[in-house]
Order: sequence, then structure tokens, then C-alpha cells
Amino acid sequence: MVHLKRLVYSLPVALVLFATVFPYLWILLASFKRHEDLFSRPVRWLFQPTVESYVAIFDKGFDLFLLNSVIVGVSSTVLCLTIGTFAAYGFSRYKIPAGNHLFFYILATRLGPPIAYALPMYLIFDRIGIANSYLGVALAHATFNLVLVVWMMKSFFDDIPREVEEAAFLDGCGPFRVFFKIALPMTYSGLAAVTIFVLIFSWNELLFALILTGGENRTLTAMIPSLVGHPKGLWPQVAAACMIQSVPVLVFIFFVQRYLVSGLTFGAVKG
Amino acid sequence: MERLRKIDFASEKTFVWVCMLPVLAFLALVAVAPTTVALIDSVRHISLTSFAARGEFIGLDNFRDLLSTDEKFYTAFWHTALFVVVVVPIEFFGGLAIALWINREFRGRRLILTLIMIPTVIAPVVVGLIWLLFFLPSFGLLTQSLNYLGFFRNTGVFSSPETALVALMISDIWEWTPFVMLILLAGLTAMPKAPIEAARLDGASRADILWHIQIPLLKPLIIIALLLRSIDASKIFDSVYVLTGGGPGDSTEMITTFAHRTSFMSWNLGYGAAVCLVLAFVSLVLAALFYKVAMGIQR
Repeated sequence: MVHLKRLVYSLPVALVLFATVFPYLWILLASFKRHEDLFSRPVRWLFQPTVESYVAIFDKGFDLFLLNSVIVGVSSTVLCLTIGTFAAYGFSRYKIPAGNHLFFYILATRLGPPIAYALPMYLIFDRIGIANSYLGVALAHATFNLVLVVWMMKSFFDDIPREVEEAAFLDGCGPFRVFFKIALPMTYSGLAAVTIFVLIFSWNELLFALILTGGENRTLTAMIPSLVGHPKGLWPQVAAACMIQSVPVLVFIFFVQRYLVSGLTFGAVKG
Repeated sequence: MERLRKIDFASEKTFVWVCMLPVLAFLALVAVAPTTVALIDSVRHISLTSFAARGEFIGLDNFRDLLSTDEKFYTAFWHTALFVVVVVPIEFFGGLAIALWINREFRGRRLILTLIMIPTVIAPVVVGLIWLLFFLPSFGLLTQSLNYLGFFRNTGVFSSPETALVALMISDIWEWTPFVMLILLAGLTAMPKAPIEAARLDGASRADILWHIQIPLLKPLIIIALLLRSIDASKIFDSVYVLTGGGPGDSTEMITTFAHRTSFMSWNLGYGAAVCLVLAFVSLVLAALFYKVAMGIQR
């Protein structure tokens, strides 16, 4: 009886697990298949694995696009963490005139459809000459990630007991010292999580990358779909590129599991 | 919770400026300036040929054409609305069911949760490509299975308007159901155990507990999840771009792909700017709604 009950409980979980994991597993397998193995009818479950697709896409210059994604991700992360952390501390600790409006405006930049900001950004970046550069797309990525940094960091600062900083003030520390020596270090684990989320969201982003990068500045996500357009021989390479893009994400996400709910709802829900 | 005591603004003026000035300057550059440029361009006729000349002033014609006569805009709007109305309830009930099921202690729970989150955390482009491969005519794994059952023998999933839209919906449901599950599970885990225990001792059934205790306590998170999913589903772009490109014809054209096509394929930039401003305005209203709810929860 106990066994039967356990089976009834675990069967739906197993089904859900299969439905979520199998499609990803399938493309993982595809990346190690030869073209004939992937497109055989009926499906060939046993095959000789090969890494030729991985070699092939690096020969195609995907190392450059990978590097571009890293450059864009890191620079947009540094930018929006710096700006956002200061702002979050300001929001948390001080009365900001019209602060609520500003706080809301920052949210609006994330909730609007990116295309509504992408074209206007393109128009102005084109005029000042930073369209098709790392800077343009890094600025764009920093924009929609700003709300995540500000909202999450504000909640971390809010959680710090006020007394600690007050004591430091009484000891004669200025606000800069209090911020850098006391408040900021107390949020380090949260800050690390926010950093990882911002990196991942930039790394995964497509629309801004399509519009604001071109040629040698293309990022990985913008390049992968271009492989599909080729005659059907390239699918194992598409799969390999998908793996190179997604495996780092899964590794990083594993470390910030505790903050996953917060990160995915930019701090609106606490995990 | 006691409201946080805040320092008087006047006493720490310099530091407050250091905190807020960068964000203000940044927003001016990446939000205010582009919106202004878009406003200026939206009242002009700008195409690729007249790009350098900055276009001829045509008043509100772009907006008038868009809102009164552009059938493609309304078609795209209708597809987006249909898409949201179908996928969000499915993702919600699916997510709720899984959250309720997983909300117990068992071995390997952490690992299972990690694996279930894969669709949500990987790039939407990759999600699109996974499903494109599945639905590939003749050779895709799902197409082969469907062929076996007698479907799609002579046609592809993406060559008929209805099935193309359904395929898009399937990929979205696969991607986002875990996200809804995660939010609701966070609520269920944080829920006080005492009322549920008390109800159980009083002989309440599981359904009673769910309906009278768990759902009411979850309500704020349910609203957040539904709002966020509706807003994000209405912005679907990546998987449409990868899976159907808006086709066949314009049968899976969404608001976002319509805006993208107008601006970056037809290079009708003045018109595109008008589309973007309309979208930005609508989303501002939705954002205001979300803000109210989110602030209510945090308090």
C-alpha cells in the first residue's frame, strides 16, 4: 500500500519532470549527433557521439560572438550595478523628492515592450554614433536590468537594521564611509546574486542585440538563429551553439537558487 | 512592520546627490532622450531614402493611420490578445497544480526544482530553437510522432496559420509554467502552517483547505504572477522571431514583431516611432497597475 501511494504521488512529478527536461536533453543529444543521426526516420536513439559540430561553429567565428556576449554582459552589469546600487541605497535611506515617481519610472522601463525602447534608442544612438557598438547595446541592457538592481538592492538595504549605521554616524563616520564600510558589505551575498541575474539577462537577450549590434559586434543570441537559415545540414551546429549559450546559464543559476524568485520578479516577490 | 526611519534630506545633501545623480543622468540618456527623439520622429515621414533629411513634417498622420486604418496593426493586436488569453490561464493552472504537488518534503526535491526551472532560465532564443527542431517538417521528433498518428503528413506545423500559433503557444507554456510554479511555491512555502493544521484537525478536506485557506493567502502572489505573465506574454518576440517570423502570411504576427517589421525591415522609421510610442503608453498603464500591487505586497 505504501508503495502504491508513493507511486501515485511521484508519477505526476515524473511526468512534469520528463516534459520539462526532455526537450532540453534532446537538443543536448542533437549537438553530439551527426546530421544523418539527427534526421533519420525513424528516430535513431543510439548513435556514435561526435564533437564535430562544436569544432565547426568555432571555426565559423563563434568564439568572437561568445566573447562579444561576455563583453556586453560584463560592461552592462558593471554599469547598472554601480548606478543601481547607489540609487537603491538612496531610496532605502533617504527622503528623495518625487522618489516614488522615479522608482515607478525605473520599473516602467522594464515592463514596457523592449521594441518600444529599442527603436528610439536606435534613433538616438545612430545620431551620436554608438549604434553597432558595444556601448550602445550595453547601455540598452543596463536599462532594462536597472529595475532588478534597484528593487532587489533596496530590499537588501531595507533589511539591514538601521542601528548599525546610526552607531557609525555617532562615531563620526560620514555617509560615504557608512555606505562603503558598513551598509554595502552587509549586502554582499545579495549583491552577488543580483550580479549573476543581471549577467544572465544580458547574456540571454535577443531584441536589443539584433537591433543595436551588427557585423563583428554581434552577440551570441543574435547569431544563433542565423545558422538555421542555411540548408538543413546545420542543425547539429545550431544545437551545439545552443548548448554553449545555455550551459553557463544553468551553472550560474545553480548558485543563486535561493534568490531565484526574487531575481525573476525583480524583487517584487521575496523567495 | 515599522516604517523605516529616514534621514532628513537636507542634512546629507551631497551624498544623496551622489546616490541619485548617476541614475538620473543614465535615465536621461537611455529613456528620456530616446523618447523625445521618438516623439519628434513620430510626426514626420521618415523612410530609408529620406533618413538623412530627417523627413517631412506630417503632423499626427502616423498616429491617425495607425489607429484608424492600419489593419495589420489590429491583426497583430488581436493575435497578441488571443495568445495572452490562451497561454496565461494554462500556465497559471499548470503552475498552481505543480506548486501544490511539490509543496511537501521528499527526497530529491531540490534537484527536481532545479531541473524544472530549466525552460524559464535558458535564453528564449534557445527555447524557440528547441521547438523549431521538434516541429521540423518530416524530420522533427514531434512531427514524426504526429505523422505516425496520421497528422501533418503532407504539411508542416508552421505552414498552417492555426497550428503555427498553437506551436508558439506550446513553446511559451513550456517556457513559463515553471516560472508561475516558482512564484506560487514561494508563497506556499512561506505560508503559516498553524491555520492549515487547525483546519485539518477540525476535519476539513484537502479541497476545503485549498479553497478557504491556501488560495486566499496566496492571493497577492497570484495577482503578481498573472500580471507579470500577462505583461510578458504580450511582449513575446524572441520565439516568434525564431519559430515563425510572424508567418505564414501574417497569421502569427504579434504587436512586437509588427513594430520590428515596420521599423527595421520596411525602415518606415517615423511610423515605427509612432507604433513604439503607442506601445509604451499602453505598457505604462499596465506598469502602474503592477506597481500598485507589488507595493501592496511589500508593505
